Amino acid sequence: MTFTGAIGTACMFPLRAIIRACVTLRIHPNILTLVGVVINFLAAWQFAQGRFIPAGFIMLVANIFDFIDGKVAEETNLASRFGGFWDSVMDRFSDLSLFIGVMYLYSQLGRTDYVMIAAFAMMFSVMTSYTRARAESMIDKCKVGFMERPERIVLVMIGAFTNRMGAVLWVILILSVVTVLDRIYFTWQVLNSQETNKR
Amino acid sequence: MILKDFVSLPTRGIWHALFWTFDRGTWQYDLMVIAILAFVWLTPPQWLNDPTASGPGLIGILLESLR
Repeated sequence: MTFTGAIGTACMFPLRAIIRACVTLRIHPNILTLVGVVINFLAAWQFAQGRFIPAGFIMLVANIFDFIDGKVAEETNLASRFGGFWDSVMDRFSDLSLFIGVMYLYSQLGRTDYVMIAAFAMMFSVMTSYTRARAESMIDKCKVGFMERPERIVLVMIGAFTNRMGAVLWVILILSVVTVLDRIYFTWQVLNSQETNKR
Repeated sequence: MILKDFVSLPTRGIWHALFWTFDRGTWQYDLMVIAILAFVWLTPPQWLNDPTASGPGLIGILLESLR
């Protein structure tokens, strides 16, 4: 087993208990999604105040909700197409709010350079999701590129807990740009080969 | 291994790192995670002009001890 796989397996133990509790209490998965977003807004507020450690802990809680909503939906047979749509839309709100929190902090510190780095990281994070969603409306799957949402969230938490947000923003920015380019290239390749096969 | 393979091996590595098609839980994924964490934790914050980071970071500590 790989070490990231081992970390994932270890994290699943407490999460399974939370999922079971939510299933027993019949909490609707869409409510869990919404609660996750509201908690993420609190994390963004903490970032804006420069309180990185509390922001990290709040993000941890928020992302538990974010992670379990899909599993609860499956186990309660409440999985729906609208649930998937709702989850994706709420995820964007969560992502954007965190970046806005960090940008507010850097603007308060008078650091336009890092405001711009955070702004571009935000732009390419949204484009990472958009390119995949748009590509998958035309092709079967577009799951290339490293910097997806879970990686981004874990990185921001690492940045918050270890006080290395600058480095984290650089990584998110560069790898998000690469991921967007990967998805554009992959979609072009697949569509091109489909057109060639048609002729 | 012929010379062409020696030349193409790093090129292929860079290409696969840029055009990422590996799943989570693969050794390639672990390697990428290690590289990212090394960059985040080892790079001295002054190099990036990080406005909020404190402390010199591991590379900074090592460089200071060498002086």
